[in-house]
Amino acid sequence: MKLRLLYTRDNVGNPVLSDIVLKTRVPINILEAKVSLNGGEIVVDVPATGKELDEIRQLFQKEGVSVKEIKSVIEIDYEKCISCGACVSPCPVQAIKQNPDWDAELDEGRCIRCLICVNACPVRAIKSP
Amino acid sequence: MTEQLGAETLRTYEEINERVKTGDAVVVTAEEFVAHVRDRGVETVAKEVDVVTTGTFGAMCSSGAFLNFGHSEPPIKMFKCWLNDVPAYKGLAAVDAYIGATAMSESKGFDYGGGHVIEDLVSRKEIELRAEAYGTDCYPRKAIETTIVLDDLNQAVLVNPRNAYEHYNAATNSTDRILYTYMGTLLPNYGNVTYSGAGQLSPLYKDKNFETIGIGTRIFLGGGIGYVIGEGTQHSPQNQFGTLMVRGDLKQMKPRYLRGATYYRYGTSLYVGVGIPIPITNLRVAKSAALPDDQIFTSILDYGVPSRSRPSVKKVSYADLKLGKVVINGRSVPTSPLSSFKYAKEIAETLKWWIKEGLFFLSRPAELLPNQKEFKPLEVRRHELRVKDIMTVKVTTAKPTHNIKTIASLIVRNGVDHIPIVDDDNKLVGIVTSWDLAKALAEGKNTLDKVMTTKVITARENESEDVVARRLSQHDISGMPVVDDENRVIGIVTTDDLAKLLRKWKE
Repeated sequence: MKLRLLYTRDNVGNPVLSDIVLKTRVPINILEAKVSLNGGEIVVDVPATGKELDEIRQLFQKEGVSVKEIKSVIEIDYEKCISCGACVSPCPVQAIKQNPDWDAELDEGRCIRCLICVNACPVRAIKSP
Repeated sequence: MTEQLGAETLRTYEEINERVKTGDAVVVTAEEFVAHVRDRGVETVAKEVDVVTTGTFGAMCSSGAFLNFGHSEPPIKMFKCWLNDVPAYKGLAAVDAYIGATAMSESKGFDYGGGHVIEDLVSRKEIELRAEAYGTDCYPRKAIETTIVLDDLNQAVLVNPRNAYEHYNAATNSTDRILYTYMGTLLPNYGNVTYSGAGQLSPLYKDKNFETIGIGTRIFLGGGIGYVIGEGTQHSPQNQFGTLMVRGDLKQMKPRYLRGATYYRYGTSLYVGVGIPIPITNLRVAKSAALPDDQIFTSILDYGVPSRSRPSVKKVSYADLKLGKVVINGRSVPTSPLSSFKYAKEIAETLKWWIKEGLFFLSRPAELLPNQKEFKPLEVRRHELRVKDIMTVKVTTAKPTHNIKTIASLIVRNGVDHIPIVDDDNKLVGIVTSWDLAKALAEGKNTLDKVMTTKVITARENESEDVVARRLSQHDISGMPVVDDENRVIGIVTTDDLAKLLRKWKE
């Protein structure tokens, strides 16, 4: 599950994420991070489900970090897609594959939101919502 | 096999068209033909099949359209002209223009180009037309701004100087940075391989001796009917680089098979759908049409080398490439196409259906295309500066055994910023800059091995000044040692050298 963690100016300096990793022993993977004057934002991949995931969300919220679920990481517009494959091999984690009909298929679980595919698409059929 | 073998006529164009008329023509796609031949042998299948249909759908930069706008009141002799802010070529009569696929919008740049204008025209979208003129006695108007749609135009003819390359090289990247090329996005350190063409569906592979394709060959072009009007530019058939020049009426075409495209940080282009019927006139043509993916080979070239002649990393077949991975230097590397196999197949199927339904007849070419043609490079006849012309030959170097203080005093004494570190054979092992020393002082580092950079960006003496300037700015560095084949330091080239050059040039 990919989550967007929103930090405030007050908690952005705290090692909230590291504390939670140490406490839960869940190897949370950081995909994106940015800090601004108003706080910060981290996009993470949490390899957990159900109760464990809920617990992690609560731990963040307890520290004043709001948690938003990222439902889709990138979107392929199949009306525009020409099934060429220009997005496939540039994906550094092989999250996009071509099926036997050469249509692009996204494995959301693997996607790390690097957005290389968004630029690689010659017909602008891939967007990050 | 001698040239004459297999040349015996199996069927004529007239016989084929007679069967198209009665609905009896046997038509298969190139993919189906390959499978039939594999099962039952080429001799048997060649006797049964009249026509093999091919298809390809890829970015074809040498594409564009001639447009005639008609005359306004009062009339204008357009001198410059833009369609949706994309400049069209106006070195023609008053209201004729050519919109090329790679021309880019003056406001949107890479995001919108001539290819997109053509797609929008075919989609029946309104296009902004703007033109300027100097005004003449017969054409008094000096400016015009209006909108056009495809059906307003007197003529809108797609004329593509080079389409449907027989053969394409595949691409990879040996450097340590991502490359954005006309072969798409190439990850560093041989991170991926991209390739073009439609393999066993590709039109020109299916008549590789150019026995049936020529001037006047009727084809599928952009969803409508088009014609081959000659050899394409850079036609080089003896090297499997045959190409076609084609034309077709834009008004008959479909936006599905003419798609504006952008290759990130490279430019705009147009995906063009081309399908060519191959009449199985003799056994030799049948053999060519039966060429399967595992016998169509290409080379994976290293696009990390910014040269006309890029080194080949590996030779592979389309069957290998289509598996989605190849092995380079012992590592499995993902491959993916840039042309659409899905659309290529769809085009071959559509053409097959047209012929079977009696909607499309084969045409005998008025003249065949040459099967030998020299492809000449462009010689640069002016003197161009190379690294050896601008580099400093007297290089201050140091040894790995030297301490930081010695190097600092070398920098001060000789007034330089870069000290290449060399071994006893003068071979490059690292580099230390004045900035590295300042940083070392700030961070309390005091041994050379902690301070020097060992992964050194270098130049060669025969590289052009352009390439080297680009490399310096890409790596955000101010100088590079120049090395020979043995990695021995023979000079150094710095931004100071380039600045001096610029000053001299301005004077």
